[in-house]
Amino acid sequence: MKKKSWVKSIVYVALVIISGIIAFPFIWLIITAFKTYPDIYAYPILYFPQNITLEHFKYVFINLGFSKYFLNSLILGVGTAALTILISVLPAYATTRFDFLMKKPVLLSILVCQMFPQIVFIVPFFLFLKYTGLINSFLGTMVVYLPFTTPIAVWMIRNFFADVPKSLEESALIDGCSRFQAFYKISLPLVIPGIASVGIYTFIFSWSELMFSLSYLTSPSKQTVPVFLSLFIGQYQTRWGPLFAGSVVASLPPMIVFGFLQKYFIKGLTSGAVKQ
Amino acid sequence: MDTATKDKLILNKKNSLRYDLTKNAFAYRAIMPYVVFILVLVVYPVVQNIIISFQVDGAWSFANYIDVLFDPLFHLITINTIIWTVSCVVLDFLVGLGLALLLNQDIKGGTIFRTIILVIPWATPDIVAAVAWKWMYNDMYGVLNDILMKLGIIDEYLPWLAVPNLARLAVIIANVWKGFAVSAMFYLAALQTVPQELYEAAAMDGANSWQRFTKVTIPVIRPYIITTVMLTIIWTINYFPLIFTMTNGGPANATDTFVTYSYRLAFRFLDFSHSTAVSNINFIIVFTIAIIYTLSLIGKEE
Repeated sequence: MKKKSWVKSIVYVALVIISGIIAFPFIWLIITAFKTYPDIYAYPILYFPQNITLEHFKYVFINLGFSKYFLNSLILGVGTAALTILISVLPAYATTRFDFLMKKPVLLSILVCQMFPQIVFIVPFFLFLKYTGLINSFLGTMVVYLPFTTPIAVWMIRNFFADVPKSLEESALIDGCSRFQAFYKISLPLVIPGIASVGIYTFIFSWSELMFSLSYLTSPSKQTVPVFLSLFIGQYQTRWGPLFAGSVVASLPPMIVFGFLQKYFIKGLTSGAVKQ
Repeated sequence: MDTATKDKLILNKKNSLRYDLTKNAFAYRAIMPYVVFILVLVVYPVVQNIIISFQVDGAWSFANYIDVLFDPLFHLITINTIIWTVSCVVLDFLVGLGLALLLNQDIKGGTIFRTIILVIPWATPDIVAAVAWKWMYNDMYGVLNDILMKLGIIDEYLPWLAVPNLARLAVIIANVWKGFAVSAMFYLAALQTVPQELYEAAAMDGANSWQRFTKVTIPVIRPYIITTVMLTIIWTINYFPLIFTMTNGGPANATDTFVTYSYRLAFRFLDFSHSTAVSNINFIIVFTIAIIYTLSLIGKEE
């Protein structure tokens, strides 16, 4: 018994130190965002700044129009999530409820899509968007995100459909429901948690995606937060203040979502990924 | 095979297909949009990418691949990609499994540690992680040099992102910070599947904790490890925003990988032919690794 409490306190100390190290880059980002310019470039480094300022936040929102990029990211994220859910719910349902010849190929396509690198699509999608006139549009960007969100969404929602007992639908069918009504009225409401975690996953993907958005959303009125931050680094190497303020704000939506829903979300993701 | 059996087989096949289509009509209608989407947005672009890479001035040619494969810069980038992927995958595995073991301990305040260790790096957007690390690595005002000096590990400020090998190390560390959490989550989920009785039985047989780890934990979570490592390899090879933002492949191409190189060819030099050749080479490598892993996984299970 004595040894066990000794081990426990070592684990405890280790976790405290490791948490500190892991949280540090992010905490440092926040501290720097609230420092005045002289303090940012102070020597020796100021770990506990005396003067806290909101000037960088004001600058990034008022002078650089950050709220516009923030709104663009929101639109893109919500739209991508909605489109992904729309496309993935039915195949997820069909591959759990029916034993048909195309089931295996569909499931295989999910696995194979996981392996496709984004870079393979960068040139074809550029040509595709130019050809369809969807370049520099939210809709076009949502569409090219789908190959990276839909397969994993089908996979995640499948796990939730699998937990819905078949007998529920069978009794509805006997009561005169059509096949679609049985799906729509009985099973679909029961997998809303699964749909929610897919929505979160997709939103976060779109929120931080850089390669496609940087290449396809070229006009400033359409740019997202990552694109803005990336271009800002390129243009003003040394203006760290607004860059950090923008970065802190950019981290808020995913942090909030994960903070509240992490347990639930992690369960959905890992069960989808490791259950064979 | 005589014609009679052949006809019968064809008939059977036809019947079963027709039977399948009628019986599962709902399923086929349900997957239709998904199938169309896969064909238009996955199959077509992949094929197009291959076609572009084999064309020079409208004619079929291997020239793009030959140019790329005999370019010394591409050899350097291949080495970079190997260093980057192997280091990140090994570190993600070690850090991820180690932290999963720690977080799996039943202690007070476990949820808080779990939230900090797993959520902060993972939820931070890629570009923000890149910004934060770029600032920490800054040679004059960076906090990393200051801390390392105070700890006595270095005795002068290091130009982290300006020297090839340091820059390689720097992007690898930043990526492990960003990426280990996903591995840790999978390993944590895996550890929770290990039956407690196995540990108790092993303890009764006099196994110490290291033996319990190697003889009980590892064999049980082995399939999870293989899956996670495979996914990490694929994600790491394909990972773009961190390197792009922190170094954009520099200094002197020391941190250039297939992905950043291919991207630069396409969007800075508008050289789609060579860009697609590089991205297809990257694709073939990723695909081969995935196939080998999958086959070995299936082989082991049988």
